[in-house]
Amino acid sequence: MNHPQIAIFARSAKEDTPYLRSIEGQKSLLGRTMHDIAFDAIHDELVVTSPLAQAILSFRGAANGEEAPLRAIQGDKTQIKGVGATGKVSIDPIHNEIFLASPDQAILVFDRMANGNVAPKRILSGPDTQLSLGEQREGGGNVPCIRIDPIHNLLLVPVGGYGGGKVLIFDRTASGNTPPKAVIQGPVRMGNQFEIYAPKLRLITHTRNNIEIWKIPESGVSTEAPLKIPAPLGRQSGDIGIVLDPLHKEVIIATAAGNNIMTFSVPEVFDDWPAGGPLTSAAPVR
Amino acid sequence: MRVRRTKLECVILSAALVAIGVWAAPDRASRLVSVQQLPDGSDWCMADESSATNPSSPSPDEKILFSALRRDPYSTLVFAAQFTTPNVAEQERQAAEARAHGARTPVRTIRDTAPTYSAIAVDVNSNEVILQDNNLWEYLVFDRLAPTPTRSDEITQPKRIVKGDKTLIEFNNGLYVDPVSGDIFSVESDTGDKMVRFPRAAEGDVAPKAVLHTPHRVYNLAADEARQEIFATIEFPPQVVIYRKDASGEEKPLRTIEGDDTGLDAPHGIAVDEKDQLLFVSTWGHHSNFRIAGTGRWYPPAIKVYPLAAKGNVKPLRVITGDRTQLDWPAAMKFNPSNGDLYVANDIGQSVILFANAAKLQGDVPPARVIHGPSTRLRNPTGVALDLTHQELWVSNLGNSSATVYPLMANGDVPPLRIIRSAEESKRGVNFGRTAAVTYDPIRQEILVPN
Repeated sequence: MNHPQIAIFARSAKEDTPYLRSIEGQKSLLGRTMHDIAFDAIHDELVVTSPLAQAILSFRGAANGEEAPLRAIQGDKTQIKGVGATGKVSIDPIHNEIFLASPDQAILVFDRMANGNVAPKRILSGPDTQLSLGEQREGGGNVPCIRIDPIHNLLLVPVGGYGGGKVLIFDRTASGNTPPKAVIQGPVRMGNQFEIYAPKLRLITHTRNNIEIWKIPESGVSTEAPLKIPAPLGRQSGDIGIVLDPLHKEVIIATAAGNNIMTFSVPEVFDDWPAGGPLTSAAPVR
Repeated sequence: MRVRRTKLECVILSAALVAIGVWAAPDRASRLVSVQQLPDGSDWCMADESSATNPSSPSPDEKILFSALRRDPYSTLVFAAQFTTPNVAEQERQAAEARAHGARTPVRTIRDTAPTYSAIAVDVNSNEVILQDNNLWEYLVFDRLAPTPTRSDEITQPKRIVKGDKTLIEFNNGLYVDPVSGDIFSVESDTGDKMVRFPRAAEGDVAPKAVLHTPHRVYNLAADEARQEIFATIEFPPQVVIYRKDASGEEKPLRTIEGDDTGLDAPHGIAVDEKDQLLFVSTWGHHSNFRIAGTGRWYPPAIKVYPLAAKGNVKPLRVITGDRTQLDWPAAMKFNPSNGDLYVANDIGQSVILFANAAKLQGDVPPARVIHGPSTRLRNPTGVALDLTHQELWVSNLGNSSATVYPLMANGDVPPLRIIRSAEESKRGVNFGRTAAVTYDPIRQEILVPN
């Protein structure tokens, strides 16, 4: 956070492998602390927030060095609020939308091509939504990561914090005071980010010690337990990042305080499961 | 029942747990017996930026405990343990044990095994250079005259290393060395929100002689030796906090500089000019009021000049800003009282820029001298230190695990006089600053890591 670059590494990078390129510097408009980042493989762009300036930035996928963003959403019409709480952003590249969770207990949805001081195209908020997105406090606070399943048209929003809570599942296009259509009862523990594997309707988190795979219901309340795969990180903290590489069946973890990136081979996330669920090689770490 | 506790409550309850261990010791001496890892998986003691939702009330017993401890927050027992330890060794041990029992092992790990030098200081009394390592959570002390390694794969051996759970060092960024006592002040940029202080001769895994609870997001330190005050920049909510230099525990700042008029938009570097009674603060320009939606904007990077005794919502006396300044993520600064020069570690500019007669400057002014170019061996310089006794300028390089030293009046593409190197000559660090998010580019098969 003292050098808020975005460093880009080859997938095969290991210890002490330098980054291939880095997005950095005043022109990039980047600043601390980026708690989430999304890559749009359809349009070859990446999306991130600049929390201290209450902004959403979109860069070329191949951005390099001190490069300005293609677009920046910022200003009084945006309703973007918070500093730590501005950290989480997600993208639906198929339907051309950017999602941002707000400490005002709202999900703001912007057009992907929005630029400048623009209002959200829709807002999900209200008591029936059951949204409980954290709060902005003096010097801190955070909101949960949100993710979109563009195949099944779902919006997934955790409530309850890192320690474990529910995951609310809305229709992707839900707006206003709309209740969730499904719930993973949990408790679903997670760090800064979680991921979904939409083709199999699976939600994946890392909980400091285990990779957990949850089934995503499209309706009703699911109380099904997750598959837990022990994958300890060593030095780490709770605000862990996670992303999937479906082609290589890998789960990539950012270990926060561990200050490193670990890649695990986890075919269970991507493969069909035999009846009774996949076998695992070890008991979950408590 | 799992409860969400405030940070203070976490600290107090941690202290209480340790206190039980201390009082249980046979000789009842005030020493730390052990620190037990708290139950994994709770939402206990998350860093501010990590915490989330749904506060619950503490139990009646906990309320009584918190209340009692708050009434006597400086008791020896509480003070001895009011800051949680990073607990690195235990985390590593548990991971190794789990893997030995079949837990999955990463197929690849991207990390830097070398130090990431975020700040630097010189102790002319001991002829030593202190380097702050933001990656491996340590500081290293080198001989000031250590020769440049001759082989490309050779590194400079430190005289001492201060590192380990007892030190409470984590994500250490700002650094200050007392010019008289040699005490080393180290402040962190995230997670633990504290400044730790060690005697000059500290070595190994040792407890600090003092710990001060600071606001979140501290970046850098400076001091007014005449008034015995220490200054810290806070990136957000933006402010400069000024403490007694000997402050410890929960002691409050003597004063703060904060508010819309201050222009403190993401403050970073800070330097004190005792002669002219001025304070210099470098800013990156990120601005917003976190309480009000849609207030975000960007301003150009700048150096803002305040009266040294400034307090509250004060406007800067002068602002140095504009394209000619070359400021680009300006980091640490140092002021030379003998001639009025202000040195700025210019991270992305890959330079050290020097403003002459800094006390009088204003507007879009070019630096008087710029150290920049391939001969300088600068790479992401974020720390500077002045050795006025030997007329040398020291620079810590975040991007290549090195410190480079130049003549105080160096200018242009000048080679360093000497290099302290903690990795091979060709080193390019990964510059991680806490990897709390990641994404994947399937087009190029690349991993993107924001700091």
